[in-house]
Amino acid sequence: MRGRARSARRGARGREKPRPGEGVRLALYQGLFAAAAEEMGATLMRTAHSPNIKERLDHSCAVFDPRGRLVAQAAHIPVHLGSLPRAVEAALELGPFRDGDTVMLNDPFAGGTHLPDLTLVSPVLLTRSGSPDFFVATRAHHADIGGAAPGSMPLAREVYEEGLRIPPVFLARAGRPVPDVLRLLLANVRTPDERRADLDAQLGAQATGARRLGEWARRRGAAELRRAAALLMDHAERCVRAAIGELPRGTFRFEDALDDDGLTPEPVRIAATLTIGADRVRVDFTGSSPQTAGPVNAVEPVTRAAASYALRCVLGGDFPVNDGAFRPIEVIAPRGTVVNPLPPAAVSAGNVETSQRIVDVVLGALAQALPDRVPAASYGTMSNLLIGGTEPLSGRPFAYYETLAGGHGAGPGWHGASAMQGHMTNTRNTPIESLEHAYPIRVLATRIRRGSGGQGRFRGGDGIERVVELLARSRVTVISDRRSRGPYGLQGGAAGRPGENLVQERRDAAPRLMPGKFQIDLREGAVLTVASPGGGGFGAPRVRPLQAADKAEDENSGGTHTARGSGFVGSLLQRASAMRRVPANPGSRKRK
Amino acid sequence: MQRPSDGSSSPRPEARRVAPRAVGVDTGGTFTDFVALAGGRLVALKLPSTPRSPERAVLEGLRRLGAGRATRVRHGSTVATNTLLERSGARVALVTTAGFEDLIEIGRQDRPDLYALAPRRAEPLVPASRRVGVSERTGPKGEILEPLGPAGLRKAASETRESRPQAIAIGLLHAYANPAHERRLERALARLGVPVTRSSAVCPEVREYERLSTTVANAYLIPRVASYLTRLSRGTPASLEIVLSHGGTTTPARAAREPVTQLLSGPAGGLKAARDVARACGFERALTLDIGGTSTDCGFVAGELPRRRAREVAGFPIQLPSLDLHTIGAGGGSIAAVDAGGLLHVGPQSAGAVPGPACYGRGGPPTVTDALVVLGRIPGQSMAGGALRLDRRAAARALAALGRRLGGMGALEAADGVIEVAEFHMAAALRRVSVERGEDPRGAGLVAFGGAGGLHACALADSLGCAVVLFPRHAGLLSAIGALNGGSRRERSRSVLIEASEETSLGRALDELQAAMLAEFSPSERARVRLERWAEVRYRGQSHELSLPYGPGLEERFHREHARRFGFADRRSGVEVVTVDVRGALPGDELPGGGDSVPTRRLGEPRDTARVHHDGRWLRAPVWQRAALPARFSAPGPGIVAEEGATLWIAPGWTARLHGTGTLVLVRARPARGPR
Repeated sequence: MRGRARSARRGARGREKPRPGEGVRLALYQGLFAAAAEEMGATLMRTAHSPNIKERLDHSCAVFDPRGRLVAQAAHIPVHLGSLPRAVEAALELGPFRDGDTVMLNDPFAGGTHLPDLTLVSPVLLTRSGSPDFFVATRAHHADIGGAAPGSMPLAREVYEEGLRIPPVFLARAGRPVPDVLRLLLANVRTPDERRADLDAQLGAQATGARRLGEWARRRGAAELRRAAALLMDHAERCVRAAIGELPRGTFRFEDALDDDGLTPEPVRIAATLTIGADRVRVDFTGSSPQTAGPVNAVEPVTRAAASYALRCVLGGDFPVNDGAFRPIEVIAPRGTVVNPLPPAAVSAGNVETSQRIVDVVLGALAQALPDRVPAASYGTMSNLLIGGTEPLSGRPFAYYETLAGGHGAGPGWHGASAMQGHMTNTRNTPIESLEHAYPIRVLATRIRRGSGGQGRFRGGDGIERVVELLARSRVTVISDRRSRGPYGLQGGAAGRPGENLVQERRDAAPRLMPGKFQIDLREGAVLTVASPGGGGFGAPRVRPLQAADKAEDENSGGTHTARGSGFVGSLLQRASAMRRVPANPGSRKRK
Repeated sequence: MQRPSDGSSSPRPEARRVAPRAVGVDTGGTFTDFVALAGGRLVALKLPSTPRSPERAVLEGLRRLGAGRATRVRHGSTVATNTLLERSGARVALVTTAGFEDLIEIGRQDRPDLYALAPRRAEPLVPASRRVGVSERTGPKGEILEPLGPAGLRKAASETRESRPQAIAIGLLHAYANPAHERRLERALARLGVPVTRSSAVCPEVREYERLSTTVANAYLIPRVASYLTRLSRGTPASLEIVLSHGGTTTPARAAREPVTQLLSGPAGGLKAARDVARACGFERALTLDIGGTSTDCGFVAGELPRRRAREVAGFPIQLPSLDLHTIGAGGGSIAAVDAGGLLHVGPQSAGAVPGPACYGRGGPPTVTDALVVLGRIPGQSMAGGALRLDRRAAARALAALGRRLGGMGALEAADGVIEVAEFHMAAALRRVSVERGEDPRGAGLVAFGGAGGLHACALADSLGCAVVLFPRHAGLLSAIGALNGGSRRERSRSVLIEASEETSLGRALDELQAAMLAEFSPSERARVRLERWAEVRYRGQSHELSLPYGPGLEERFHREHARRFGFADRRSGVEVVTVDVRGALPGDELPGGGDSVPTRRLGEPRDTARVHHDGRWLRAPVWQRAALPARFSAPGPGIVAEEGATLWIAPGWTARLHGTGTLVLVRARPARGPR
């Protein structure tokens, strides 16, 4: 039943209108819950040890009600946030809880997303009733959780190869650590000291959130806090339903694909049918590829997170993101497909790659409903780079993880941003100087891939090219996509240029073009280039004979049309882009 | 047009004959504030700012105050900040390690708004066409991996010249660890005849993007700030000092070379002055609350002024010490609005000066100021010393309309709601700088200033559990006062990245920095310089440091501080020192007690009363003029004290007394109902 949307079971449409004056109190509580989540994030960032958490901020924090419904989140990583509620639901099964308990999990099939994301869930007991009033949760991407390759994102066929799988277990009971669990975990990972320190930081963040809620319960009463949380959800639900009401009704389809699953060369299809009703939306992924042998399977919470994210972007507005905001959104993800795989599917790239493609597809469908609002596809891949091995001097193992931003899609009225994180991720880069201090890696270049954005009336943003040299024998994994098919353009805009991965055995050796997803053992002195895609263009580039209206406008803007599209290549790209846009015929676009 | 701040302290003819010993000048968006120390008295003056050439207002004020050769003028300027915000700085060329020319554009690659369909960040200050890559490379330990030879230098110089820059920024990888290549480039590029900033001089700290951004911002600001300071120095015989972001001052020459160090000087003066006010009243620990038209700045002082190293201005990271203030978009002009789901939002949008709040009578939206007018906390028919007429009916209409959108609330209830939400955000900001950093606000004094700080102080003190509110004299001019008594100050810092136990190396690094820093003082000053040595310490592997005074037992003190701030200490981890810094300060001028500026006339009786709505009922509150308070003034709330540019609301349950220093000290007469 996990495949069918749980939102359908709720008939609620923001039943409980706030009483007069409640709008004031709720504003206070919204600020309070959000501040608690943000403070958790600040604590985690300040005290974590791994560059991936402290520098790249690859973590998220949120507050939940006793039923595991999202109350408030800090603005962190969308793929974490949308999927966290399932983690709390899974943790709930370990109840009843005592004060000071903390549950840890990473099992993608029981509340997790992919194995490196370790999630802690702690009950917050504010009264003597013995049952939790709230839950706080932190999710952080750990640089290694064991498995076949450093960084724990190998080209696996089964989840068992991807690392240590942790169902919901107690990491602490009544405020005391459970040493057996920690020992077991640390024995299975490549960098145990860093893991221990990062878990300490996560526990500190949990305590911070619980402390803040406790303080407010003393001031205002636990019952009042719980009631406010429920009202805030109803409020968000009302906001979202109102915003949906402004969208054009109808059914819109779109599909796109991943290049491959890393093991076989076939494209992996993602299809979505979007139905916009008066005050709700259904996103149905029926028609997507069956689950794959390679690790691009996205577990259902990831799919749901991606679909909700895309809708949140388009709905705009300034409403809080909590459980209520998701209620009007129904997600159908058929079991056994790439958007809702069954165990023991490998899933490490579902979180980072497939989630991005799901957003592209849902936005593509929305673009038909709202052609004057929705931009072309962004770079659509996190270009994950994982390097691990042993430091030559100290003999200590290391595991380095980085993702690369890319070009954003152009939209109606704007050029896409270059070299910026998009959609389901917002991690920073590791400063080069910190990275070179911490790992036997040297960065040879980091530059913008000029001209990689799709041409068009508005140009897609450019991707990034990063070149690194290995200073020690290492095992390298690259998980990337949009290497054979660039991000789509819209309304005649060209696709962005696909990304590219190159390996040189030595600095002076000839570069070898690598596939989008690969794993390789390399010696000291080898050079690796990862280049991320540009974003899609928007609107036809003005290289054809000008229409009268276009012409007038072009003269006003100085008539630079020849500089934009690049003639033959431009039109080829444009054609390629049009081919990829599936719903070109109006027949597939039904009106209700 | 001269607008004396109040009857007692306007520059009187006899005051002008004696040149003041010192003048503090703070340039703001609307007014340029002056506070002069002359003949043992504080004299205040407010002139309209002249944004196109800010020196005109400054020089005019100095002339009126009779500043002469013997006068020390300490000036907090907004020229640097505005140049960055308006992006009206120089054509900068950036010289950087080849292969990394785009770092300044890529930044940290994150986007500012998670859910925006068209996310945007600030355009880099140097476009791609003016970035020059140099073949060279230094490694993380300062080792030279690829040398920079004469040919490389020549090529860099010629490419830089071709971009016809007005200023040059040099930022190479790992230059904090070894500045040799940057120095060589600096010498070669100096021949181009435009100012050169190198990252190892302005910000010798690890993390390339933040260092580069700071360096480029400095180069970008130099020409405008330098020409402003030249015009200013030429226009007055007085000796000038410029207020910096860390609250100290420096010479105009150095300020012109390193304008990036002034970017956050505005609120720094206020924080510093607030610390002094608290100290004078016996409070070493103080929360500071500066509420203006569009924003609120909060800080926490425990003896030392709080500092932090990283800030963002106009979207650009500035990796330099500044006073640590938390700023939120909630002030008098913050707009109150109701969203589609019925929730009340206050700020961060502001009504600005035009149209302004509804009570300006120009069709503006309901704001915090309007709510205060409706509730009676802002009394009278005008504001800002009569410059602005108050349309009380327009305020009431705006709040009534807001109440209807909130589901059948009246104007009064809506006004209460707006104030409650605004004060919630302000309290959250105060908590951010205190409770959330492990500092207990109980027992600390709350220093309220800025135009509206006094209007919210009692409620916020209740909310935070502070027993005492301090409302300083010239509460609307505190930044200028902070500038006035800011002593000159020099600082030097460097990234070292070594174990905290390596005391010999640390000591050597600090000695070198100290010698360089002292060289910036004149020989006569050196003997009086108060020295401080600090270390930024972290667990090996962390990337956030704690600042501690350098000295014996550094490691142990770090463990304790970490446990206090973050709830745990990790004695198994190594402790490393990331940055060491040396600070030298000359004491500032002693300010006279406020008693000098308070007339001895006996005007203890309130001139007026106001009706104020509080806790669901109307109260009659006496309204006193600040300038006319008798020396032994004491009054229980409710009451209002008005001075030009600032108002104090004494809430019921609080009693105000005039302290010998001129500060109004409010104590809670009976225990609060408990924090909200």
